[in-house]
Amino acid sequence: MKDYSGVVIAAPISFGYAKQSPRGANWFIGNTLREMLRSAGLTKDDVDGLAISSFSLGADSAITLTQHFQMSPRWIAQLPYGGAAGLIALRRAARAIQAGDAEVIACVGGDGAAHRSFEGIAANFSNFTIDASFPYGAGGPNTAFSLITQHYMERFGATREDFARIALDQRYNANHYPAALLNHKPLSLEQYLSARRIAGPLHMFDCVMPCAGGEGFLMLSEERARHLSIPCCRILSAGELHNAHREDDVQLRGGWTEYADALYDAAGIGPKDIDILQTYDDYPVISMLQMEDLGFCAKGEGPAFVRDTDMRFDSSGPQERKLPHNTSGGQLSVGQAGSAAGYLGIVESIRQLTGQAGPNQVSGAHRAMVSGFGMINYDRGLCSAAAILGSAET
Amino acid sequence: MSKWQTMRKRLKLNRPSRRRYARPPRQRTPVGMDFTAANLAVPLALQCCTDCGAVQYPPREVCANCLCGSLKWRPASGNGRVLASVTLHHSLWEFFKRRIGAAPWPVATIRLDCEVTVFAHVAAQTFDNTARRDIAAGTAVTVFSHSDCSRNAVLIAVAANTPIGTRAQRSAIAEQLGLTQPAEFTGGI
Repeated sequence: MKDYSGVVIAAPISFGYAKQSPRGANWFIGNTLREMLRSAGLTKDDVDGLAISSFSLGADSAITLTQHFQMSPRWIAQLPYGGAAGLIALRRAARAIQAGDAEVIACVGGDGAAHRSFEGIAANFSNFTIDASFPYGAGGPNTAFSLITQHYMERFGATREDFARIALDQRYNANHYPAALLNHKPLSLEQYLSARRIAGPLHMFDCVMPCAGGEGFLMLSEERARHLSIPCCRILSAGELHNAHREDDVQLRGGWTEYADALYDAAGIGPKDIDILQTYDDYPVISMLQMEDLGFCAKGEGPAFVRDTDMRFDSSGPQERKLPHNTSGGQLSVGQAGSAAGYLGIVESIRQLTGQAGPNQVSGAHRAMVSGFGMINYDRGLCSAAAILGSAET
Repeated sequence: MSKWQTMRKRLKLNRPSRRRYARPPRQRTPVGMDFTAANLAVPLALQCCTDCGAVQYPPREVCANCLCGSLKWRPASGNGRVLASVTLHHSLWEFFKRRIGAAPWPVATIRLDCEVTVFAHVAAQTFDNTARRDIAAGTAVTVFSHSDCSRNAVLIAVAANTPIGTRAQRSAIAEQLGLTQPAEFTGGI
């Protein structure tokens, strides 16, 4: 696998999170792009590549957006891959820059959240969803994930208190991240355990809140970034694998198991050298699967691992082992802005590694692992992707 | 009143939660409609590959095993085992919202002996009292199809050895689940 030298990522922007909004996806994508350009000191004509991820573009596509925004990119990608969208965009864009197909690529995920729009997305998600999962209780992804969570709990003896570890530490992080939708609300174990039931073992604080918002970052060549003198970070390694382990009856692992070792080898480090972990956390059990599959602990040891790991950004928890996890609060506390949620981990990692994070800054962080997971087509999530990002000094 | 305001008012008054009758999701893909048509005559019909014989679910266009484009609907055995079973306490869809308002709605993923995984509604009343509340993984079940009140075939899981040989027996189970009648809103406007 060729390395990612010569390419850097910069201009992390999270824009306009709102529980509900009459604005469309175009508005969120356009405004995110504007903020990105402003922070990098570029104009839209400097951008010659565009990668767009969204579930709510309606009849629009990445191409029609070029006329809406009056841009003329010579490289374009539309990657509506949910939780893995950001990492897939990062991999595609990095290769395009290395190949010289584009010099500055804007990667943007954004979605609106009109009244009852989530119901529409869940009802029309895919052919398998329409025929074989939405008619059974119409819980959207809650149904599939309650079954996965139930199976995981039965198989490995995980308890709700274990999942609470993830949700509570993330909420602590979100309490220090001003843009999080649940920034102002602390969460206690009692509140977590006594929350409203949603589906099977899932209760209210196990489920992400669909919302509107945009997330984006710029990818550009190293020389260009140096010329602009903007803070940036590098890609040490990245990988993806989709619909892996299709022989498993119920999802217990994702494609990460197949390339996690290659990721660490390419970066020349091990799981112990990771300063920040950003997993895709639409439900806590999925974060646990990612910790296991990415080598932070063995399969089935996720519950024990989260019990003795302090996942707060400032390492203020009582546990011995420290691993800042989802340092902005993740989707569970920030909100899941459709496809932008797949960019959230990368954008937050860039902020952390370039020292732009603000109140939730992790001190002395140089390497971040970002992981993505997405597209609940029928009974499992199909996409898996992961990348190790390093600060400019690494 | 402007056209826009009229539209807004109409949408507001006509929203699902105010309608008298709510039904399960009606939308299906073309192969999903074929599933309904094929299941009218028999307790359970699934697509079989004419080349390699593999049974398919969810309904699809080509064989998942050999990519053969010729799949035929054939009667299938509904015997299988529960992989995971949960009760839903929340739904996005008005029909299920109203049903859940009365009692949590049980669903399960089931691995059929013909090596496909299905989602199914669970007829909890067919399980004995100890198993009813929490149907354990590995429980033997039988899956059959029945039309819901949106006129689509849906899958229903019952305890193994439940008599489902006749249409009347299957209809009685579906009716007891509340699938064959729309959920009625009695609150008035």
